[in-house]
Amino acid sequence: MSCAADTHCITCSDEGVPMRVLDVQPDGLARCEAEGAESDVMIDLVGPLAIGDNVLVHAGVALARLA
Amino acid sequence: MKYVDEYRDAELGRVLAGEIVATVEPGREYKIMEVCGGHTHTIYKYGVDDLLPANVELVHGPGCPVCVIPMGRVDDAIAVAHIPGVIFTCFGDMMRVPGGSGTLLDAKARGADVRMVYSPLDALRIARENPDREVVFFAVGFETTAPSTALTLKRAKAEGTRNFSCFSNHVTIVPPLRALLESPDLRLDGFIGPGHVSTVVGARPFEFIPADYGKPVVISGFEPLDLLQSVYMVLRQLVEGRCEVENQYARVVPADGNPAALRVLEEVFELRPHFEWRGLGFISHSGLKLSEAYAELDAELRFEIPGVRVADPKACQCGEVLKGVIKPWECKVFGTACTPERPIGTCMVSSEGACAAYYNYGRFAREREVV
Amino acid sequence: MREHEALALIERVRARPAKFKDTQITMAHGAGGKATQTLVAGLFLPAFGGQALRELGDAGVVEDLALTTDSFVVKPIRFPGGSIGELAVNGTVNDLAVAGARPLALTLSFVLEEGLSADDLRAEVEAIAAAAAAAGVEIVAGDTKVVERGSCDSMYVTTTGLGRLDPRATLSTGSLKPGDKILVSGPIGEHGTAVMLARGEFELEAPVESDTRSLWPAVDALLDAAGPSLRCLRDATRGGVASALNELAQASSVAMVVREAAVPVRPPVVGACEILGIDPMYVANEGVLVAFVAPEAAADALAALASAPGCEAAAEIGEVKTEPPGMVLVETAFGGRRVMDLLVGDPLPRIC
Repeated sequence: MSCAADTHCITCSDEGVPMRVLDVQPDGLARCEAEGAESDVMIDLVGPLAIGDNVLVHAGVALARLA
Repeated sequence: MKYVDEYRDAELGRVLAGEIVATVEPGREYKIMEVCGGHTHTIYKYGVDDLLPANVELVHGPGCPVCVIPMGRVDDAIAVAHIPGVIFTCFGDMMRVPGGSGTLLDAKARGADVRMVYSPLDALRIARENPDREVVFFAVGFETTAPSTALTLKRAKAEGTRNFSCFSNHVTIVPPLRALLESPDLRLDGFIGPGHVSTVVGARPFEFIPADYGKPVVISGFEPLDLLQSVYMVLRQLVEGRCEVENQYARVVPADGNPAALRVLEEVFELRPHFEWRGLGFISHSGLKLSEAYAELDAELRFEIPGVRVADPKACQCGEVLKGVIKPWECKVFGTACTPERPIGTCMVSSEGACAAYYNYGRFAREREVV
Repeated sequence: MREHEALALIERVRARPAKFKDTQITMAHGAGGKATQTLVAGLFLPAFGGQALRELGDAGVVEDLALTTDSFVVKPIRFPGGSIGELAVNGTVNDLAVAGARPLALTLSFVLEEGLSADDLRAEVEAIAAAAAAAGVEIVAGDTKVVERGSCDSMYVTTTGLGRLDPRATLSTGSLKPGDKILVSGPIGEHGTAVMLARGEFELEAPVESDTRSLWPAVDALLDAAGPSLRCLRDATRGGVASALNELAQASSVAMVVREAAVPVRPPVVGACEILGIDPMYVANEGVLVAFVAPEAAADALAALASAPGCEAAAEIGEVKTEPPGMVLVETAFGGRRVMDLLVGDPLPRIC
């Protein structure tokens, strides 16, 4: 049996959130969403993106494309 | 969520659990370490180890980059937070880690302006919105999180934001693993490799584990099915006498990692000669500090940082718990000098640490299938 | 030491009465979790805890009357789905309702910050009037104080609520029995998430609104359908459903098992909480209650609950067990189990 903390910092524990690209902005940012929650993500590290692409996001950065 | 639901299939989980039982040799003990804090969290959140037979044990590794920060560095952070005019920003978990005399949360209660952020970009925005204050970002995390700090520092430099600086406590994944593996009394049979660190560094940096130390490694995704499948893959290697790095998370992790991320890390950071890990001592080339080119954004150069080293109490046996040598209750200070309310080492600091978990819930060990 | 010695030591430490040893108050003391509990049990109860207070119910019972008090310090004072004034009325009404008391009257006390705009105050006053009318309660007394700029955040509101115990109600925090079913009245995590997003501290937007509402219609329906089979009710405010369940598990010395897949949560709340690294079970609600019903009345109780406004998604989420006492366990969708403990820190400060 194990426990789960009431919160755990997903940044500290290396978790990534899959997000979908809604809009690509000029300054290396993209508006992305996960189940309706939207935020701006730095996309400098994953090459050119199109609306509808899926990326893995950690601490506000897209680290990888998802197929 | 599309990606996430497919992998949470309980039915498949039961099938895999059956395969695991069929694979293991009766009477043989298997100890597998998962390194990454995110994996520990999945195991806890979904109760993954409930589906494993009694002779397969998951040992929780030093994968919480927050908990391994030594007390002296937390004290340094608190000292900076108390400098008049400073807005001190950090991730959530960092607020509760105790230094020599309290946490950042305590410092906030005493009047320091400590604010939680979810990304270093939030901290940079606070700096832009408060031009008359000095904003410091407490950077923690492995190579997964370092790119975020690096990109933010690049942006800060490019836009000329002067009232922003970074107190870097980033660490790298390979040195602590090597330090663990170097111990003669190590009792681990295999590793679940970190999932998202590998999106940055790739699978190749872990090849030294089978090559130099003869232990199998399976890089795993974060869904409970991923973890169960990865455990199965490690066990299969052990039973079949194979020893290599396998990538269960190939759908996300490229063999060579993310070259753009590695380039930006190289530009913004450099390796410290050594860095202290709570409960594990000094490990060479395991910590990142800002490079020459970014020195103007380095909080350690901008502010007077006490830099006092607070030694781990001699009684701390976190190293042995992490290596699987002793169980939490076998540590001399478990439950007495070291409790979740007053933790000494990393295994008790994090609610996901082996000792904290056992302290709170150990008496409810469930009945497992005995093989 | 040996394993059984370590476990015995831990049991001894746990069994000791709570001692309040902190040297200063931190935000954790206001979160509704472990620190709050230690404060109440270790400082308040020993000083002035009589029999009524020691029940630690949402309202205190004196003869056939129920009395409750609440302070509202939410920041910002207006957020999607509501405002501090609405919270003040509904929150107080709900504390009475879940104690099985028909809400009768409220008192209202304002602490206003110097410089607060009259329009902002007017808006809250109108919100309070509307909420009170909707909930069927009269505001019978009040007080107003003003403090210097910076001494409070726009406004703080404190209320006292008075209700009369409904003759159909036989509710008590210590009355839970193994086999009792656990019901929740609607989707969880909405209020706390909405307020966090409204604070604008993080670059995160989601279509989430506070669920603030009066729960008296829901309680009325439950009392009608289940009567004496209704053991206990709790409104799941600070600390969320997880805290409510933990408090009651301790009060009745029972265990609880919750089926995670059965708990109603809307996708935008799941998404926002996932990004913030927060478990919706710990997020505050302002219009959700948990109910404990004897098994034979559970189906009728659920049907009645689902007929109340805002409770269409009501669901049965688990049941009460014997062992281990005081613990709440979650059966995960994956087939494993985990313990859902009392909140330790303060993930979402100043949300009510």
